[in-house]
Amino acid sequence: MEQQAQDTERDYFTDLSVLRDPYEYFESIRERGGVFRSTLRNLVVVTGFEESVEVLRNTEDFSSANAPQGPAVPLPFTPEGDNITDQIEAHRGEFLGGDLLVAYDGQQHKFSRSILNKLFTPSRLKANEEFIQSYSAQLIDEMVAKGGCELINEVATPFVTLVIADLLGVPADDREHFREVIDNAPPPGNMEADAPPSFDENSPLVVMGTYFFQYVMDRRENPREDILSELSNATYPDGSTPDALEIVRLATFLFGAGQDTSAKLLGNSIRRLAEDHALQDELRADPRLIPAFIEEVLRMEGSTKMTARLAVRDTSIAGLPVAAGTPVMIAVAAANRDPKRWENPEAFDMQRPRLREHLAFGRGAHTCAGAPLARVEVRILLEHLLAKTSRISLDEAHHGPQGARELDYEPSFIIRGLSKLHLVLAP
Amino acid sequence: MPSINVVRLDGSVDSVAVDPEGTLMEAIRDAGCDELLALCGGCLSCATCHVHIDPAFADRLPPMSEDEDGLLDMVDNRSPHSRLSCQLRLDDSCEGMRVTLVEVG
Repeated sequence: MEQQAQDTERDYFTDLSVLRDPYEYFESIRERGGVFRSTLRNLVVVTGFEESVEVLRNTEDFSSANAPQGPAVPLPFTPEGDNITDQIEAHRGEFLGGDLLVAYDGQQHKFSRSILNKLFTPSRLKANEEFIQSYSAQLIDEMVAKGGCELINEVATPFVTLVIADLLGVPADDREHFREVIDNAPPPGNMEADAPPSFDENSPLVVMGTYFFQYVMDRRENPREDILSELSNATYPDGSTPDALEIVRLATFLFGAGQDTSAKLLGNSIRRLAEDHALQDELRADPRLIPAFIEEVLRMEGSTKMTARLAVRDTSIAGLPVAAGTPVMIAVAAANRDPKRWENPEAFDMQRPRLREHLAFGRGAHTCAGAPLARVEVRILLEHLLAKTSRISLDEAHHGPQGARELDYEPSFIIRGLSKLHLVLAP
Repeated sequence: MPSINVVRLDGSVDSVAVDPEGTLMEAIRDAGCDELLALCGGCLSCATCHVHIDPAFADRLPPMSEDEDGLLDMVDNRSPHSRLSCQLRLDDSCEGMRVTLVEVG
């Protein structure tokens, strides 16, 4: 039985049919249980909702050190014994992205997170809503006037980039440069890389880091009324002052993290609307439904398909023994369609009870800190787009006719998002 | 590090130690009280870490911000003793405080 499953198992990390339709793939492995051991890559796969929540909330037994590189990249050491905490910390720098916030564990994570948690509060977002409103209106008016657009590059990416730049207080002159650097980089979790991924001097995080270092030094000298000043002068819960480089890492990560996922969420949301004209009309008639629409898109097609953890000690998930050093893949896209948790999970239903408990933003200590911002961004852009159009459709010249659509997804095992979305916009 | 008494939704009481460098939400969550959803992870946006605080200890807690007040206005079962546990750091003066978890409406 195990042998048979192994022979027919497709490799999630390289198989392009999985990239095109990860949901069909996750359903094909669901019969193996909410948590199972995959012999193909020697990792534990979690597809169940309850099981995913269990792992995400268990920061005692599971490290996030391998979250950026994913569960399939070999560990930089050979696990020894029933507790590998010390080994992880000794080799943290050798994990790809091991020094990013998403990879932090324990007190270091708690301290950095305490700083970020103050940034996207309701009052802060409200203060920035004016800019988000006016910029959305400007972009949408432009696109409607020309009858259509390629949403991802013409709208979504510049929109989310400028919104986070405005929020952080990045000088206008530097914003365009950042955008170019981000545009030219491969997505995280790249499936097309022929060499092991690395952070070289052209990677967006490295380029932006040098700018952010200057901003942080400047804001420590001359604080202003912006998030960068707040970040630069923040203190940890024990009253100590973070190292400037740590603030640089946080700010750079915030800027980088706000890009892809929010832009892809816009793409996934608007693709769904373009394919469902009745749904468009429903939201046009009652824009108060937009937040629930966004939540259901997040559940069905959030922009993160999976995340990873690493068992720190001998433990278990829903009764399955997991040895220290075992990588765990948490398939949030599968958990969000687990029929044990969601009635009729393949149906798009904005009225689902307790819908906002989906795992699109994760759960527990590492829950996406930018979620409140992403929700505001997508809501406002959709409000303008729906108000200014009578019909949003896919451009068949680029995507083919209904029933035979051609849609290209970013070649990433982490991100679910279109690389391009050509739209026809009728005023 | 103060210990508090957490009254769970089923009425049982757990003693939980609260790290003064973390928040009350983090302490309750990390103690395994799964009914405390804390969906947003502590960034003051969801109100699903709502708790009722022992009134005798109210003056030992940090004051409520406008944002916290605004979020609590949106929950069904707000009481004069409502707080969002993600906004609370406790010191030793809170030893023995009773914190009651609240059903998410």
